[in-house]
Amino acid sequence: MRDIDHQDRGGLLGPLKNLSFFARQPITEPLGPRPASANYRGFHLNDWDLCIGCSTCQKVCDNAAITMVRVPGLPEDPVKGIRNLRPAIDYGRCCWCALCVDLCPTGSIALSREYVHTCLDSELDSYFILPDARGIHGTPYPKGWAKSTDADLVALDRQPMTEQAPAERIDNFAEIVAGYDANQALIEASRCVQCGMCHDACPTHMHAPEYIRAIWNGDLEGAVREIYRTNPFAHTCGRVCTHRCETACSVGHRGAPIAIRWLKRYAMDAVDHERVKQIAAEGRADFISGKRVAIVGAGPAGLTAAFDLVRQGHDVTVLEAQAQGGGMVRYGIPDYRMPADRLDRDLDVITSLGVKIRYNTRVGVDLTMERLRAEYDAVMLGVGLWMGRSTRVPGADQAGVKRAVDLLRAVAAGESIEVPQSAVIIGGGNVAMDIARTLARLQQQHYGEVRITLTALEDLDHFLADADEIREAREEGVQILDARGPQEILMREGQVAGLRTWGVRSIFDQAGRFAPSYDPADEQIHVGDLVVEAIGQAADVALLGEALTEVLQWHRGRLQVDGQGRTNLEWLWAAGDMVRGPDVVSAVADGHRVADSIHAYLSVQEHAP
Amino acid sequence: MIEGHQGSYDRIKSKTSLKEVLEVACSFEASARDFYRDLAPKVSKNIRWLAEDLAAEEQSHYDLLRGLADHPDIDEPIAVEVQTPANNTRFSDAIHLPDLGPQPDDQAVLQYAMGREHIAMEHYQSLAEGTAPGPIRDLFVYLANEETKHKAELEKLYYETVHSGGV
Amino acid sequence: MRPENYEAQSQPPSYDYELNIGPNHPGIEGNYAFKLRLNGDRVIAGRADAGYLHRGFEKLMEGRLWIQNLAITPRICVPDPVPMEVSYCLAVEDLCGLEVPERAQWLRVMQLELSRIAAHFFIFGGHAATTGMYTPMFWGIADRDLILDLFEEMTGGRVYHIYNIPGGVRRDLPDGFGERVTHTLNYLESRLPDYDNLLFTNQVFVHRARGCGPISQQQALEWGVTGPNLRATGLKFDVRRDDPYLVYDQLEFEIPTEDPGDAWARALVRRRELKESIRIIRQVVARLPTLAGPIRCPIPNPLAWNVPAGSTYTRVESSKGELAWYVVSDGGERPYRTHVRGPSQMHAVQVLEQLAIGCRIEDVAQIMFSLDACPPEVDR
Repeated sequence: MRDIDHQDRGGLLGPLKNLSFFARQPITEPLGPRPASANYRGFHLNDWDLCIGCSTCQKVCDNAAITMVRVPGLPEDPVKGIRNLRPAIDYGRCCWCALCVDLCPTGSIALSREYVHTCLDSELDSYFILPDARGIHGTPYPKGWAKSTDADLVALDRQPMTEQAPAERIDNFAEIVAGYDANQALIEASRCVQCGMCHDACPTHMHAPEYIRAIWNGDLEGAVREIYRTNPFAHTCGRVCTHRCETACSVGHRGAPIAIRWLKRYAMDAVDHERVKQIAAEGRADFISGKRVAIVGAGPAGLTAAFDLVRQGHDVTVLEAQAQGGGMVRYGIPDYRMPADRLDRDLDVITSLGVKIRYNTRVGVDLTMERLRAEYDAVMLGVGLWMGRSTRVPGADQAGVKRAVDLLRAVAAGESIEVPQSAVIIGGGNVAMDIARTLARLQQQHYGEVRITLTALEDLDHFLADADEIREAREEGVQILDARGPQEILMREGQVAGLRTWGVRSIFDQAGRFAPSYDPADEQIHVGDLVVEAIGQAADVALLGEALTEVLQWHRGRLQVDGQGRTNLEWLWAAGDMVRGPDVVSAVADGHRVADSIHAYLSVQEHAP
Repeated sequence: MIEGHQGSYDRIKSKTSLKEVLEVACSFEASARDFYRDLAPKVSKNIRWLAEDLAAEEQSHYDLLRGLADHPDIDEPIAVEVQTPANNTRFSDAIHLPDLGPQPDDQAVLQYAMGREHIAMEHYQSLAEGTAPGPIRDLFVYLANEETKHKAELEKLYYETVHSGGV
Repeated sequence: MRPENYEAQSQPPSYDYELNIGPNHPGIEGNYAFKLRLNGDRVIAGRADAGYLHRGFEKLMEGRLWIQNLAITPRICVPDPVPMEVSYCLAVEDLCGLEVPERAQWLRVMQLELSRIAAHFFIFGGHAATTGMYTPMFWGIADRDLILDLFEEMTGGRVYHIYNIPGGVRRDLPDGFGERVTHTLNYLESRLPDYDNLLFTNQVFVHRARGCGPISQQQALEWGVTGPNLRATGLKFDVRRDDPYLVYDQLEFEIPTEDPGDAWARALVRRRELKESIRIIRQVVARLPTLAGPIRCPIPNPLAWNVPAGSTYTRVESSKGELAWYVVSDGGERPYRTHVRGPSQMHAVQVLEQLAIGCRIEDVAQIMFSLDACPPEVDR
């Protein structure tokens, strides 16, 4: 390859080659500003409406260039997963790698095409900025490197959860959800960016980032330990919690939220039950306080308080009207969602710490509140919402018309019930779905066929039940008719034959409050041997007796309690569904607050003589 | 004097002066208020708030009508009301009026209250239909709309109370 | 001068004397100190004193997540940053068992070769400047800037691209990029005759460069010389051909060699390599439109990513020689140890010291530039 001949000395006219350069453009760069490329990584922009202050950008920055700054006045909503923090960038550290952009869950942060900033020595602080959509100098430079599907590093997709198909599950009460295996759990746990929105949104502030991280690290006992810091109903919440955490998850803003509930289920199932009991006992007081606490109702609120109080050294007795503990978790939620044997484990952990439960003991019947007041130093009520409401349409008092809570209780207690060949359910909430799907299974077992009609006042878009419940109920053969108002129970030869309903024209008034209007011309008859009402529930407070009821303070039908669950009587607390409406994890949170309050009260009760 | 009774209907219909019509309406509201006031101590304390709230509502209706009756110039507020009628739902149509019984619960009290409002509304409506166009007819329409609004408020409260806690 | 590097000589005064080149001398490729002992204008001995550009990369990387290290790797060698990025990613991909999609491999090749061209223009200029010819230096920097424009479009950065990520690359090409690459390559190729006229066939340069700092093939192999410096001794060894990575085994290109092993040979090898790189890029530009598909394979959430335990050595051919990473993972989310096998470390230290002996003072800088010894890569 002798194309470059070093021996070629050129000719005499060689230097004249230079003249050709006069005709050429000079090789130089323009001094004026030049626009940067479309993908340029310049100074930061941040859309404050999209930004949720999750701090993921701060975590991934390799130069610690990002500081999260609290900006008062910005929206702050733990339930939705929004913080009033915004990232500030120190350009003395930033290397413009754009990892913050690629890992931002919402896609709010971007790099612009602006790249020039100069200042005097005295203005060096101007290199530390709190970027918003207007950019470092407030001049409108377009976005450069911004969120794109190519470079998006956020793990948007969730590990799918295997569930039983309708045909497999319709004739049994086995748990529908299969749970994650070790590999799925590892991958799902790895999606978490550890922002802590879940912790803020959880009613009992579970340490979800910690237990997710522990699962990812393979430290399952550590995960159980983190779970038990705030929630002794771990198996339960790992299956049926309303997962506010997932609603607030920052990854969930654009992708699927981390499956925090399924991860909790995984960790609890993976650790040996005896070991769980040992972990739950860690940190308990090694003394007995000598104080006695009575708790009415062995549900999530009562037993969480019992768990805390017994660990603090107090003597706790729980009085439970039913034959087993768990409250609505056992007697309201069917096995296919919440297997009883897992609930038994949660309860076993609590009783193994020394909590005494007296079953088949109904306060108000077997013993009075006055006696509890006399024999115990503090009393807590956690009696739940066990009275099913009725529409009280004509015929609602017939034998063939039942309340969903009563039926579900009977099925859970193992009592045999008369399985109707066809049934009509009134109601559109989760309880209605529970009873519909329970009866569907019983029908399949007894008759080989499901004939269930479910009617509700609301239209489908406003059903109170979870979307998954509605979908699964349909898959199991429940016929769902929305926007229908019950008018009358139909009878034939003294037996319930069905329900007559009118169509609901509109549900909400202009103010958005519930105010249905009917259309009598749109009348339907729904055939059924059994009509089940699942429209609402109330607390059965008859146990208090008239005298106590008069002394207590009430607020719109519910016991009035302060922020710690205490009534106006210094010895009486109330918590859970009866006080704040139905939700397991909120009941757990209540239980903790009540336990703290009782413990503080018991700790100062004795005075020096 | 019991609202809904045929005698009251005739009583109003025989009136011709606006002020006199309002006086009768006031006494109706007062009788309703007294009913709820009497009911309050008879019910259990946890639902006493309902009876007390209803009594207070009736008192405020009474005060409104009293104010109109005593006002020298009562044409304007009524005219405004006539132009914007309230929604008339049939929700409480579907609520069947029970016997209140000795120890009514919150659902029974609300059903009864809605029924009372409904009957009052119907009465004022039929009075309006039977009156020639004019200020008295406008007054009946106004009163009917007021009762409809009261009934609508009770329907919302009924839903929140009875259909709550059902997840 | 560090005390330990000072050796008092017992000689009559002003017979031998010492001079420093560097550490901030324009006659070197970066902050670097080279102490000369001279006799008249002949160098008797030289002592390389590296460390002025030591930023502690290898230790820094131990304290950062695998993904965070992407921002550090290009900064190890400034003129030719891409091989750093690519070989780090190859190491992580090897440890994790990641399969880079085909399109991404071609994009990486384009990026590597463009970087090679840019580095060679840079070194032409540098080498010319050490012989007192400054025009090619300005030309080299200016022509390199056109490539930096292409990088800016392709990666969002001109010098520090941070374009590679384990599993692939971070962005696909903008529309029309192929045409712009071709346009730039055409221009650059048309400039080569100018460089030849002004530099490579210029007798001033030829006389200066020929015979300056010769290395024999034997010496090159003993001293760990790689890259154009090795090929200038006649040995046809190039990692792209002898241990192919990415899609180099599907590309047509020559491996130029020369015989004398002196500065002149080294410059010529680079000059010819540049033309081959242009040829490679043209093949990539032609091929890319036919390759659809993703530009990276899925990786775990970077904040929760444990690379399986193990160690690997991944090498690429940079403009300076065999550049490799030795990465050790203990199964955690940060590297346990990383080590850069930088070609310049051999060239700038032991080779330079050897070659300096006996040469004239004005040739020392030329030797260093002709070796394309890059201090940032020596010091890390």
